[in-house]
Amino acid sequence: MSHHPHRSRRLAAVAVSAALLGGAAACGPKSGDTNSADATPHKGGTLYVLNQNPQNEFDPARLYTTGGGDVPSLVFRTLTTRNRVNGAEGTKVVPDLATDTGEPSQNATVWTYHLKKGLKFEDGTPITSADVKYGIERSFAPELSGGPPYFRDWLVGGAGYQGPYKDPQGLDSIATPDPWTIVFHLTKPEGDFPYLATMTQFAPVPKAKDTGTNYYKHPISSGPYEVAENQNDGVHLILKRNPYWSTATDSQRKAYPDTVDVLAGLDPSVINQRLSAGTGNDADAVTTDTNLDPAELAQVSSDKQLASRVGTGHFGETYYLAFNPKVKPFDNIKVREAIAYAINRTSVVNAAGGSSLADPATTFLPDQAAFGYTPYDPFPAGATGNPARAKELLKEAGYPNGLTVNLTHESDDADYKGPALATAVQDALKAAGITVKFTAVQDDNYDNTIDSTKTEPGFFLSGWGADWPSGAPFLAPIFDGRQIVTNGSNFNSAQLNDPTVNATIDRINTLTDHAAAARQWGALDQQIGQEALDVPLFHPIYKRLFGKNIRNVVIEDWDGRLDLAEAAVK
Amino acid sequence: MKGYLLRRFIGMVSVLLALSLVVYAIFYIAPSNPAQLACGLKCSPAQVAQVRQRLGLDAPVYLQYARFLEGIFVGRDFSTGTGVMHCNAPCLGISYRTGEQVTSMLATRLPVTASLALGAMVAWLLLGVGTGLVSALRRGRFTERALTTLTLAGNSLPVFIIGLLLLIVFCSVLQWLPFPTYVGLSQDPQQWFWGLLLPWTTLALYESAKYARLTRASMLETLAEDHIRTFRAYGVGERHLITRHALRGALTSVIALSAIDLGTMFGGAVLTESLFGLPGIGRLLVYSVQIVDLPVVVGVTLVTGVFVVFANAVADVLYAVADRRVVLT
Repeated sequence: MSHHPHRSRRLAAVAVSAALLGGAAACGPKSGDTNSADATPHKGGTLYVLNQNPQNEFDPARLYTTGGGDVPSLVFRTLTTRNRVNGAEGTKVVPDLATDTGEPSQNATVWTYHLKKGLKFEDGTPITSADVKYGIERSFAPELSGGPPYFRDWLVGGAGYQGPYKDPQGLDSIATPDPWTIVFHLTKPEGDFPYLATMTQFAPVPKAKDTGTNYYKHPISSGPYEVAENQNDGVHLILKRNPYWSTATDSQRKAYPDTVDVLAGLDPSVINQRLSAGTGNDADAVTTDTNLDPAELAQVSSDKQLASRVGTGHFGETYYLAFNPKVKPFDNIKVREAIAYAINRTSVVNAAGGSSLADPATTFLPDQAAFGYTPYDPFPAGATGNPARAKELLKEAGYPNGLTVNLTHESDDADYKGPALATAVQDALKAAGITVKFTAVQDDNYDNTIDSTKTEPGFFLSGWGADWPSGAPFLAPIFDGRQIVTNGSNFNSAQLNDPTVNATIDRINTLTDHAAAARQWGALDQQIGQEALDVPLFHPIYKRLFGKNIRNVVIEDWDGRLDLAEAAVK
Repeated sequence: MKGYLLRRFIGMVSVLLALSLVVYAIFYIAPSNPAQLACGLKCSPAQVAQVRQRLGLDAPVYLQYARFLEGIFVGRDFSTGTGVMHCNAPCLGISYRTGEQVTSMLATRLPVTASLALGAMVAWLLLGVGTGLVSALRRGRFTERALTTLTLAGNSLPVFIIGLLLLIVFCSVLQWLPFPTYVGLSQDPQQWFWGLLLPWTTLALYESAKYARLTRASMLETLAEDHIRTFRAYGVGERHLITRHALRGALTSVIALSAIDLGTMFGGAVLTESLFGLPGIGRLLVYSVQIVDLPVVVGVTLVTGVFVVFANAVADVLYAVADRRVVLT
């Protein structure tokens, strides 16, 4: 759960870098072969990853990933994992270390997993259920801070547990009756448990090899690669083959290259420049965190050879206008509805980079079946807004002469919550007689400001990305009244505490049939949508370049990124 | 001379102590909660309290500062969960974020920034002083105009743009150079050189204009002075006049400016480091400030401070060498 799972790029250098990229595309060497991303994959070689963000804290207890992450998933196998296929099928959860995605019992409060036979760590020792248990317990240690919050909330006894260093007895709610079986006891029904089990905390950690806060330097691999070098806390990672990993127990990771070389700390325009030029090793390179910006995309699209090397990805993410109904005039639903009618989604999408980089949104849930997407629009404003209807509503609300509101936004455009979006909102609302004034907050401090019930503004730009493709991690943190946090990070911006909504969330969480649950999340989304607690604006689309020697490109809708475990180098 | 050095040293230590105090003060006045940040999302107050205790943030500020000073002189111990990690003196503490020792974080990044800064200084002195010389001696000719235009253009473009342009031209279009990757000098001197060539050139183009101006102005000034005319009348060679007298006069101000610029490079070459993906001190500082990683910020500030103070001390000594009228007291 996060406001910005992937920082998009800074816009400062956009115009220049795009112009330069275009120049290079025109003058650069033309590759003779026609690139086909799906040609027969070749085993061996080195896959290069060029990223902005270092792979910090390479410790499975401390990482916060969706579906096990990109680089982490090459080293850490987990009980379950994401289905490594293109598109919507790639939102499914599949077994990894376990033989199935879990057997629920007692109304989905107990989950049992059996490990596959023949699983080994990089040193050849067998992987047992005790190692998986220990891995999860480590994530509770204050020494290994970070990671997702679910374990403390979901596991019986998790709220007070301090990790195996202080409390070596361990958590009773994780039982290991034999070396191949592990049983989880939860505080409440959680039909989505198999999705949680894709996170790196479910990777086995051998207790004898645990080095505490130093474990990140060389975590013990259960996946196809082990860490050969980790420089400057994940700025440069070199992974080599783990000789004890075998395709016999791993049907998901292809692991074609012999070596994976991850270099981070690069500037986004340089990454795209290198991928487009593709000289030397850069022909064998990909990126997992750098999108093409609108200007670069326009340049790339005009070059056939380059255009064939753009991967398109969808990640469940919604950007929206958030209201705090405790602040006037947003306590008045008519005012909120008026704003919903006034919004011009065409100009909003343009501000986010145009229709190839963003889809207009009228639902809070992302437009993917896995989340339970049910198309609806409670305040149909068309593509460009309905200011006339907005003015009527304002009159009914007691503002016949319009009103002035304050919109809080980030000081830069890197996260789709900056001045560009704010201006698009301002223009649209002006037509409806609403004057928008701006309050800009430094982006380092933005989340702190909007996530604290003490400092939360009345009207602000926000975004939400899901930890896994399901309605639960999308709707519950935002609309479950029991998740309102008064002394920490609060994501329920509307501070909605509706007993029927809470009860519906509980009921859907008992469902272990994902398709059935998805339908009900969709219905709940539609029900909440009527209350105009937010105005959905758009869902972003990722466009990323990959090198000209890259084959077997797989981009799951789970996270919308090129899967490193599937890619091959020509 | 001994007395001079001792006084300089005492001055340097007091500057650094003051620096560390100021950074500590800023962090405690600024509204931020490093324990909450280190703990992660949805940490309960109890968990945040545990992290606070682990990081030593529950102690009063003066005690935290005293522990920090203690670490510098005698070292400290930190728990890793499974054992104890000893941080040898001079210990600057451990990162709130990674638990790594600040001294080792600095040790891996310092060579990168030092390579960048020192190499760039050599390059900007060559280009800047060279241009200044040529423009003083060959006023109005083509070489003078070309060099002055180049250095002025370099100075008027942001570092970021110069760097990108160089990357495009030399790595992408002409493909004379690979995209720079930092390789340590001790690992492979040749790769080190090629990897840093563009960052050096970028900084040199950006910095050299003011050196050119400075050199040109001082040279012309000196050459117009009476004693030079007298030397000329005595038949002293033009080459000797320029190298032994005119250039020497210009050098004092060039040295002073270089010392300041070099010191700033140590903490302030962030844009160049970012653009060329150099894992140096500047980027470490920016990142650590964003995540409120106080021990790292203090560590970087101190190291940068050491270099600024040290570079200025060296400049003072060089003054005396370049200009015999200067006496160190």
